[in-house]
Amino acid sequence: MRGMRAWFLRLRNFFSGARGAEQDFAAEMQSNLQLHIEENLRRGMGAEEARRNALMRLGGVAQTEEIVRDRRSLPWMESFAQDFRFAVRMLLKNPGFTVTAVFILALGIGANAAMFSVVRAVLLRPLAYSQPDRIVRVATLWKNSGHMGSVSAPDFHDWHDQSSAFEHMAIYRNDEIPVSVGAGANATAEFSMATAISFDFFECFGITPAVGREFTSDELKVGGAGAAIISYGFAVRNFGEPQLALGKAVVVDGKSLDIVGVMPPGFAFPEKTDVWLTAGIFGEETPSRSAHNYRVIGKLKDSVQLAEAQTQMTAIGARLEAQYPDSNKTKSVAVTRLRDFLVSDYRLTLLVMLAAVGLVLLIACANLANMLLARAVGRTREIAIRAAIGAGRGRIVRQLVTESVVLALGAALVGVAVAYWGVKTMVALAPQDVPRLSEAGIDGGVLLFALAISLLASLVFGLAPALQVLRVDLNSALKQSVRRAGGGTLADRLRQGLVVAEIALSVILVAGAGLLIKSLLALQNVQLGITSERIVMAETSVPSVDLDSAKRGIRFYTQLLSELRAVAGVRNAAATTMIPGYTSSNGIYFVDHLPTNFDITGPNAIFTVMTPGAFATMGIPLHAGRDFTDADGYDAPFTAVINQALARRTFPNEDPIGHVIFCGLDSMNPMKIVGVVGNVRQDGPASEPEAEIYMPYLQHPQPATNMRVIVRTDAEPGVITAAMREKMRVISPDVPAKFSTMEQAMSENIAAPRFRTLLLGIFAGLAVCLALAGVYGVMSYVVGQRANEIGLRMALGASPGEILRLVLRQALMLAGLGIVIGFAGAAAVTRLLASMLFGVKPGDPATYAAVIGIVLAAALLASYIPARRAMRVDPMVALRYE
Amino acid sequence: MGEKTDVWQGTLALMVLKTLEMLGPLHGYGIARRIEMTSGDLLSVNYGTLYPALLKLEQEGYIDSEWGVSDNNRKAKFYKLTRAGRKQLAREAREWSQATAILARFLVAGEERS
Repeated sequence: MRGMRAWFLRLRNFFSGARGAEQDFAAEMQSNLQLHIEENLRRGMGAEEARRNALMRLGGVAQTEEIVRDRRSLPWMESFAQDFRFAVRMLLKNPGFTVTAVFILALGIGANAAMFSVVRAVLLRPLAYSQPDRIVRVATLWKNSGHMGSVSAPDFHDWHDQSSAFEHMAIYRNDEIPVSVGAGANATAEFSMATAISFDFFECFGITPAVGREFTSDELKVGGAGAAIISYGFAVRNFGEPQLALGKAVVVDGKSLDIVGVMPPGFAFPEKTDVWLTAGIFGEETPSRSAHNYRVIGKLKDSVQLAEAQTQMTAIGARLEAQYPDSNKTKSVAVTRLRDFLVSDYRLTLLVMLAAVGLVLLIACANLANMLLARAVGRTREIAIRAAIGAGRGRIVRQLVTESVVLALGAALVGVAVAYWGVKTMVALAPQDVPRLSEAGIDGGVLLFALAISLLASLVFGLAPALQVLRVDLNSALKQSVRRAGGGTLADRLRQGLVVAEIALSVILVAGAGLLIKSLLALQNVQLGITSERIVMAETSVPSVDLDSAKRGIRFYTQLLSELRAVAGVRNAAATTMIPGYTSSNGIYFVDHLPTNFDITGPNAIFTVMTPGAFATMGIPLHAGRDFTDADGYDAPFTAVINQALARRTFPNEDPIGHVIFCGLDSMNPMKIVGVVGNVRQDGPASEPEAEIYMPYLQHPQPATNMRVIVRTDAEPGVITAAMREKMRVISPDVPAKFSTMEQAMSENIAAPRFRTLLLGIFAGLAVCLALAGVYGVMSYVVGQRANEIGLRMALGASPGEILRLVLRQALMLAGLGIVIGFAGAAAVTRLLASMLFGVKPGDPATYAAVIGIVLAAALLASYIPARRAMRVDPMVALRYE
Repeated sequence: MGEKTDVWQGTLALMVLKTLEMLGPLHGYGIARRIEMTSGDLLSVNYGTLYPALLKLEQEGYIDSEWGVSDNNRKAKFYKLTRAGRKQLAREAREWSQATAILARFLVAGEERS
């Protein structure tokens, strides 16, 4: 306590300078002296004697003052402040050096702080729910593929009833569907993410509505009135204020639902949900164990560990597998922490990027160490003089370290600005579905991180030059000229070692970036099986409640398409339920006859419903048979078209046309195969084509109420979009539409690989630039050092070309060594990237050849200017220097 | 050297506090003379040790100082005990007498055995 008080007083004195205190002390000493003299006089001493005796007893006032001064304030702080002021002065005196150093380091620190901010927001920060670590996703685990997927309703109920590890377990399903707000002519329908829930859903998160209330059990039951709870954002967008939303209604699937609650801001689980609905309004849950239509969320009990819950669920899964072999063969249960599940796609990408910026910072540090070493050599004389007039070695090292710290702190300041910009850029460039990325920003934590890494960096780059000082021999340093002094071979070797390290590190980054670029190119070049250029799309949904209204509703498409085909610039118009990367329906199929026992492990196919002309519009080639026509109506014999993958698998040696196929999309009617079309990579470019069954829209009206209208056009997409919008409004104003182009949709397919390629590319570019600067610095220095030797060689008849080769050879040796070491590192590190690569192996020789080319070219470029300077060395000047 | 100073420093603070308690506000010169006198001139107090001790006590809040006028009308800086200082004095005095009592018992016991 008292010690603290004293410390603070001393700290205050340190800052206030305590000038008054010194005068005060002098006055006090004077008064003590006088008091002593007077007392001596009183004792009968002579005036002279009294004064001498008093002065003697007073002792060394200067010494006393010294001791008191140390006690008054904090001497080590004073010397630090002195060092600090001196460092700032030294750095300001050399603005070129300082600006370069701060800039280089700020790039490294800024990149790291930005990446840290993103990693923290996405990977580290706990979800904003109560007890986020106890919230888990419970999923069906397909044991053969390891794939974790959706859940069937009967499975969920068995999980729920038989497990004891969970406090709550809830079933839900979500989809982007048209939701309209308001009534009558003002009603506007928009595609919104809606989640149908039954019970315990909000309880899993420990979250209650900010305004209003949760669903009552009456509202939740099947056939009940139902109700809706909306997100904060949705409330603000549509009603202005959350309070105003209560008592209003949303219309979903033709049903009007009262809004009873508004969730607090920030809660939008799952996937940016805007509206939570009572599942009961959609009728009973799908009763089939092989209909995996739902997802499950759970909250573990406080006393239960994740592993225990997993063990329990695995046992339940095994029991169900034995009990229901028809539907549950090869199925088990997976329990995953919700956060791990949400970020699973991006964890590796972000960690790799974090490692990459770490390497960039290391390179920046190596650069700075090099610059400081060069400067320390130049300052040998200054330092020798300081040592000669009494500065201890520790004091001198401290002085140099202080300079490094000041540099690092300056860089941290600039780096934070870089990070601010970097985070904004990354958020803008990142794929839309990175969870919680928008929360990334510059806050106290990031500032602290920037400060910490800058101090760490200052140690890394500042220690070598500081320790170099300890090796300087005072005598020789003072005697010799600046140029030659102190630059011992050890320092030279250290500098060259640093450059080799820089080159090696950049080789690793460039190799990684090269592999990702090659993967991205491969992804972009994969033939998806469709021609995506110049296709305008509108995602639409026709309201319907039953088969009859669906049959009526899909006439919307019939009329719209015939009108659109007449619009100028439209080459082709059609509608389909699928586009690559956005499949929604798949399942088992059977050929020729329907078996009595369904074997659910049989082959699967993707189901698509479409209008005639869709193949042509998307550019999917027809290999045999025919496309659908308007004659393929509901009352005509059912037909289907299959793709080559299905034909090859099921009809390896015969003509599939004329065979009958069954699938459970909406009915088990036999469908006659009338055509075979080319394959499409439905799951995006990185996956193999799958078997597909296409069906005509008139024969499957209910699935056909949600189709994408696709228009192939020669005109501007904007013009066609406007025309489509107008036609749709005239035909049926209550059909919501979301416009885009096929190219946009396809590029979202590869948004994630493009993002990581871009980031790593930027970091690799930075690394090469920094390495280039490093090589330039060292080669300039080497040329300066060897000026005498070069001059001598020239005097002895060496041609400028020979001198050029001499310098370049040395640069190439450094680069070569760096490349060899870098290759070893890259071989180890790029293996981490294996899961991100497509169509290229981690050890791809072409990529490595390109890396050698780039790094060598950079090294040659960086040493060319110093080499030119060497060629122009005047032999006379160089020789006279000696 | 170091050991001697430590003991000296520790006891010096106690002596200063006690002196101020006995005599009331007093200047540095007076404190030094008084301690020397009380020790029967066995101790010599120089300012190089006294002043750091005074400053430390002041920083810790045990004593206060202000300029005043001495008996013979001379300007001098007077130190006086604060309330915290009084408590600290009582505490330290107690600890000190305890320590010396214990030590004394040891020394007596040693003498008896030999």
